[in-house]
Amino acid sequence: MSQQTATHATDVVVRLAGESGEGVVSLGDLTVQMLSSLGLDIYTFQTFPAKIKGGTVMYQIRVHSGVTLSQGDGVDVLIALSKDGYDSFHMGMREDGILLYDSDAFTPPESPGRTEYGLPISTLANHEKQAIRSEVEGEQLKRLPPPKNIVGLGALMRLISAPLEPAEQYIRDLFGRKGEPIVRMNINALHVGAQHIEDQIGAKRTPHVYPVPVERERLTINGNQMLAIGALAAGCRFYAGYPITPASDIMEFLAKEMPKFGGELIQAEDEIAALGMCLGASFAGKKAMTATSGPGLSLMVEQINLGGQAEIPVVIADIQRGGASTGMPTKTSQGDLNLAVYGVHNESPRIVIAASSVEDCFWTSVDAFNLAEKYQCPVILLSDQALATRKCTIPMPELDKVRLEDRLKPTSEELSNGFRRFEITETGVSPMSIPGMAGGAYVSTGIEHDELSNPGYDPDLAQRMKAKRFLKLETLAKSEGASYYRLWGVKGHAKVGIIAFGSTEGVLRESTERAREEGYKVAHLHCRLINPLPVEAIKEFAARCDKILIPELNWSGQFGHWVRANTNIEYRAFAKDVGLPFAPNEIYNQIIELLAE
Amino acid sequence: MPETAVSQQQYAPKDYKSSLKPIWCPGCGDFGVLNALYKAMSICGLSPEKTVIVSGIGCSSRLPGFVTTYGFHSVHGRALTIATGIKVSRPDLNVVVVGGDGDGYSIGAGHIPHTARRNPDITYLIMNNNVYGLTKGQVSPTSMVPMASLQANIDPKRWKTTPYGMTEDYINPIAMAIAYDISFVARGFSYRPNQLTEIIVAGLQHKGFSLIDAFSPCPTFNQDQTDDYYKEQTYDVPEDHDPTDRVKAFELALRTDGYPIGVIYRNDTKHSIMEEQAALKARFAGQPSGSVSALLHRFV
Repeated sequence: MSQQTATHATDVVVRLAGESGEGVVSLGDLTVQMLSSLGLDIYTFQTFPAKIKGGTVMYQIRVHSGVTLSQGDGVDVLIALSKDGYDSFHMGMREDGILLYDSDAFTPPESPGRTEYGLPISTLANHEKQAIRSEVEGEQLKRLPPPKNIVGLGALMRLISAPLEPAEQYIRDLFGRKGEPIVRMNINALHVGAQHIEDQIGAKRTPHVYPVPVERERLTINGNQMLAIGALAAGCRFYAGYPITPASDIMEFLAKEMPKFGGELIQAEDEIAALGMCLGASFAGKKAMTATSGPGLSLMVEQINLGGQAEIPVVIADIQRGGASTGMPTKTSQGDLNLAVYGVHNESPRIVIAASSVEDCFWTSVDAFNLAEKYQCPVILLSDQALATRKCTIPMPELDKVRLEDRLKPTSEELSNGFRRFEITETGVSPMSIPGMAGGAYVSTGIEHDELSNPGYDPDLAQRMKAKRFLKLETLAKSEGASYYRLWGVKGHAKVGIIAFGSTEGVLRESTERAREEGYKVAHLHCRLINPLPVEAIKEFAARCDKILIPELNWSGQFGHWVRANTNIEYRAFAKDVGLPFAPNEIYNQIIELLAE
Repeated sequence: MPETAVSQQQYAPKDYKSSLKPIWCPGCGDFGVLNALYKAMSICGLSPEKTVIVSGIGCSSRLPGFVTTYGFHSVHGRALTIATGIKVSRPDLNVVVVGGDGDGYSIGAGHIPHTARRNPDITYLIMNNNVYGLTKGQVSPTSMVPMASLQANIDPKRWKTTPYGMTEDYINPIAMAIAYDISFVARGFSYRPNQLTEIIVAGLQHKGFSLIDAFSPCPTFNQDQTDDYYKEQTYDVPEDHDPTDRVKAFELALRTDGYPIGVIYRNDTKHSIMEEQAALKARFAGQPSGSVSALLHRFV
């Protein structure tokens, strides 16, 4: 990708908007498929109406010839399929952008500087359907939808000068079994849409996409799907969950796959039951996971504590969503950090890890299971709505790099010599027996207990057992945990250093790259492990940066507070919680402002 | 009770008795229930290493510590969820849930109908003393304190949160269990130890979810529903009772002339979640579909 020359570089942002159910999502999915087949990188960003039916939907696709790190800033091409879609989502369009609208549906207000294309989508689609009416049986004809999406796809492909061949092939594959007339109708629709633009295009400005040779096998997939596949790769064989936006599709995905992997999945009656079932399954020896969002995580708090106190491995994926209480379920946020880190009565150890990109969702899921097994405690995996629903083209994960950890189990000698489930060790980790192991019987319990698991409240015991449990986090922090971060940007002295976590990694990389291209010395440390934090790495990083900026998607700057509590560094907060991911410009402007001070 | 978890070896009741001394007050009904459980496990020959006793929070929920099997003393009200996770992921284990009326019928009541729907092979033994004991004398969902409107003389030292009488009615757990179609519903009494042992054996042997509500009087915080009260108020389920007749079972549960002791309802036609999960797995067994690489390639 580095051999791309400036003249052949592609960076186009296409936004589709219309009524839910009107085909916005399917047209978006089709476009993604066509463009990724050209070897281009895709990064999507969707907003969903918080309604059961109806409402306007937005599907934004950034297509890029390099690695795509964010949804981009301005919109180059807006495809408006309805007036409401136009009204809700034309903001953010570049002033000299291109509007392609369904002229059967509405006429947009005039806007100087903009290039406009009217496309009578319904008329054209109906015409293509009528053209084959004599060749299709009455009942099939009735159920046959006019090929509106395909007309739109043809128009869009022409508008961005993309070849039509991949779409033709796709149509043949998809509709082949429905008969030649249906294939012909769709291929004609594709060309009619393209021709309609061709006729208007003249000297009008159009963006271009340039195919890129594909060197590695790539997939087009979203964050929740990668997270779920990562769990299966990590050996997850038990899942219990309760429906909640935007985590439900993890359960839906695993419901299809879990039986094929010989595992079990239960839709629980609530999140409390979901985590209870996972703790039970893990106690019984299975790798178990639940996924939820903020309201569900709130309900799970008591049992997260039980998992910490009783030392049970379990993975809890929290797909954060916008707002407090019911908030904005279809919007994004990083607002659950405090709950993930501090959500507990009294104290018990838990590990918090955050996924930072679609690709990283796979590896973070694997890491979460490994950490849970190794340190025998709950691991909260933070993702968010934007990351969960974002589709990206990414290289195929190298599965031979997946390393699996299993919990420490007692030896036969330990089992025959008065087995101590909660034995105090140098690492804090004790062998965990599994029901069925003779000599391994113990009571897993949330009550304070001794090494044998017998209840006990004496002060010395309370001190020793608590220290034992927290020693596990120290062991993690001193060993592999110290390297759970990534560094970007300048290696030595930096004027501005950004410290952040989670799904903002891509947009921060893009905005800091932009600043560096303009000659500013900017660096970026991205934390993968949130608890325990890679404290030494953060301190070293802060020491080589003149100023630190901590951007995050919540109201009060939770991550900044957590970093300062652990490292005592000074920083500038940039906390924002409006339901949307950061745009590269916003961060770039923050960097420039901070440099100017 | 899975075949694999029954041992060829014989275990005496004392083999299930751990070295921990129960924390219960002298005269607590829970001793009788514990002894009946030891005997029932011995009769069924449960292998201690393949048996898990799960509990929530409360006096009776301390029971797993007094048994030599694996145990899980969890949080208040959630024992059924933990037990479900254990049983569904490891059908080869015997899973017994124990707890009190507050743990089961109040904070944990929401899990009962869903466990009934899943019908896992779990035996749920509720030690019902009609009071909160561990927190020292508040009303429970089965407390039978007179209603406030009756203006009865209530001893405020004994019923601490309802010093002027109750403002809520109590529930009938047996009728509730039949309404939820729990596949085995029985009532026992800790002062009828042999009968209770038989009932627990029947519950352990039942394939599916069984709920056994055992009256287990609290001598410290409940001076109304005492052992003497229950000795007077209980009688055997009539010999001609057909527990598979749901309407007749309801009639028995709703009787007001005392409490029938024995198996009140059973439904052996229900499927269990483990059977259904096994069927799901069998459907895909032998197919090469369970591969991470194949899954990823679906997105190429």
